[in-house]
Amino acid sequence: MTDDLKDKRTFSRGVHPPESKHLTEDRPIEPGPGVGELSILLSQHIGAPCQAAVKKGDLVEAGQRIGECQAFVCAPVHAPVPGKVKELALKPHPVLGRCQAITIEAREPAPPSLPSFDLPTDFDPARYKPDEICEAVRDAGLVGMGGAGFPTSVKIQPDAKPPKHTLLVNGCECEPYITCDYRIMLEWTDQVLAGIRLAQRACGASKVFIGIEDNKPKAIEAMSAAIARAGSTSDVRVVPLQTKYPQGGERQLINAAIGQTVPTGGIPPMIGVVVINVATAAAIAGAVLHNRPLTHRVVTVTGEAIARPGNYYVPIGTPVEALIEFCGGVTEKSAKVVMGGPMMGLAIADLSTPITKTGGAVTVLTRHQIGQAKFERRQTACIRCGRCLEVCPENLNPTRIAHAVKSNLLDVAESHFIGACIECGCCSYVCPANIELTGYIKTGKIFLARQRKKMPA
Amino acid sequence: MLKDITVSFAPHISQPLSTRRVMLDVAIGLLPAMAVAGYYFRIHALLLIGTCVAWCAATEWVCNRIRRKPNSLGDFSAVVTGIILALSLPPVLPLWAAAIGSAVSIVVGKIVFGGLGANVFNPAMVGRAFLTASFGVMMTTWTVPASIDIEMPTLSAADVVDTRTQATPLAWSKTAIKEGGEAKTYSGRLFFSTMTGEVAGCLGETSAIAILLGGAYLLWRKTIGFHIPAAVLGSAFVAAAIAYLVNADAYVQPFFHLTSGALLFGALFIATDPVTAPLTRRGMWLFGIGVGTITMVIRILGEYPEGMMFAVLLMNAVTPLIDRLCKRIPTGGKPHA
Repeated sequence: MTDDLKDKRTFSRGVHPPESKHLTEDRPIEPGPGVGELSILLSQHIGAPCQAAVKKGDLVEAGQRIGECQAFVCAPVHAPVPGKVKELALKPHPVLGRCQAITIEAREPAPPSLPSFDLPTDFDPARYKPDEICEAVRDAGLVGMGGAGFPTSVKIQPDAKPPKHTLLVNGCECEPYITCDYRIMLEWTDQVLAGIRLAQRACGASKVFIGIEDNKPKAIEAMSAAIARAGSTSDVRVVPLQTKYPQGGERQLINAAIGQTVPTGGIPPMIGVVVINVATAAAIAGAVLHNRPLTHRVVTVTGEAIARPGNYYVPIGTPVEALIEFCGGVTEKSAKVVMGGPMMGLAIADLSTPITKTGGAVTVLTRHQIGQAKFERRQTACIRCGRCLEVCPENLNPTRIAHAVKSNLLDVAESHFIGACIECGCCSYVCPANIELTGYIKTGKIFLARQRKKMPA
Repeated sequence: MLKDITVSFAPHISQPLSTRRVMLDVAIGLLPAMAVAGYYFRIHALLLIGTCVAWCAATEWVCNRIRRKPNSLGDFSAVVTGIILALSLPPVLPLWAAAIGSAVSIVVGKIVFGGLGANVFNPAMVGRAFLTASFGVMMTTWTVPASIDIEMPTLSAADVVDTRTQATPLAWSKTAIKEGGEAKTYSGRLFFSTMTGEVAGCLGETSAIAILLGGAYLLWRKTIGFHIPAAVLGSAFVAAAIAYLVNADAYVQPFFHLTSGALLFGALFIATDPVTAPLTRRGMWLFGIGVGTITMVIRILGEYPEGMMFAVLLMNAVTPLIDRLCKRIPTGGKPHA
């Protein structure tokens, strides 16, 4: 391991935003608030949305499946608490704007209790059949908990083509402020490792790398120690990576950790790599060993404008408002509430937006940070300084693409590979003219998608 | 709880850097050159810099009013244009000519294209080109402080207060060669003079040390990349070396070219203007090589002793083409579909 520490791997370009993790990194995972009403969104993953399996007035038990669908790329949703279905209605969704949701009135609004993570003393992943693992993961409704929300069962399915040679576990957590994955690695270490080995067993990867940024030495140590404790797991290795944003982007992570490049427009399985997040790994262990569906997750509630930041174990469906109140409220009159971190997170306008499977953080930024008061942050014309090109991890030309979108020249944007943008936000972060490059690119992608729908080629 | 919530695209934080700060950095980088100009050319230098900055700013303000655009003086780009124009002028240019040059810089160099960021040509060089074309004699009347005596023949004895006119090292070497003289006289004394700035020339270009100091600041602040300066100086050096190797009697030593005239100033402060230079690194290399080579072609083969201005303007015109040629390919290669 010491050898690895000497040679810190990374990808090229990227940025170094202030880490701001000191707010919550030393706060152990605690139970979140007991909420009376939870709204479970029916689309919390990439793929077909779920159909409600319950009606208004139905009584549901904790862990009961309340939404499902037959599509391959899909993940069912479950009730986190026992209670009654209050309504099926549209609720605010951080990405989609609005989405159908099942609102459950809890029988008794008690704070969630932290899960017990006892592993069988003689835990051996070889005892589980790959199909069984995959099935359990699918039944539990597992999706990538790092943010993208791709159904995990699809990623780790056995006998996939091409065969998977490497399982890459994402413990980078490169977003500023967020510490939920870090706490999970520290506190639920064995659970994470068990999940990793189950995922490896399922997808048949011969090598496993756990990529962790070097600003989390304790997590590197804890995971390495757990690997040593587990014994015959020489094929699992911790890879310390340089602290840089977006190190945790899966394309960047693959490049940094194993030196391979995912083709533009392609996905990691095409080159035989599976990437899962550490929180997902822990959830895999919960699903396979304890039959526990994905109904709760760890959420970092943080930001300079929050009174009592921390890492909380909360039921999925908890409104952001309840979480912020639980943390002592906000310290400023106006601010920005972001689902996720400040680099890629989505600002929400409605605080009743529920926590989803993919939402690892609620970041409340101050007025000063979002820079409304400052002349310095006013937008000027592009001075072609080229900083956005210098930091783009996908080697794109963000200013050219953004200008094409602005001028409604979508074909030009396409000719500059707008589709290859991973929307990491590095270009906007460094732009001295304060142009929302990432925003323009995102908008351009939406326009293109619409155009294609209207006129199938 | 929250009274008003802001919603916008990610990222929600940004680097504390603004266009104003970038422009301010360029101005700071120009400080050493301005200080040396002030030291050697005294009140002339300060009056010229003041006139150019004031006229550039005033022109921009008036144009914004006429175009009904918001005031853009806050981005400081007009100030930088003024300083660079002033530093590229001969010390005793009449102030009215400098004022005209400044107005032309802003109107023809910048506003007609749509303002900051949209201009094709370096505004300061547009203004300078206009002055060169209109007031040729004034633009080639050089002075040095009278206290300084370098072993170069003075062209005329018309002394101006405490200064007297003298040819720039480049002009002098060119004339000397034409008249059958030896060009080898690039002595240690002259090298010292071009380093400190006690030679005739444009306000900002005389002192290599001051320019390098300011350039180092810009490189440290990452306001400019090393690509363009390296390409300009490297290609100019190669071109000068070729000429020198071909005929050592007719052409001066390559090092002489590097430290004299506008080459260094142009490489660090003019060719690096981000608005008019290519975006990609590959493009920057091509652009820089173009500027360096054209400058040397004009210096070695042309009538003018100096070619930086024309080289920059010519390459500015080629920049969109270079940007088109140097298209970036995504990390994962071109998509198949």
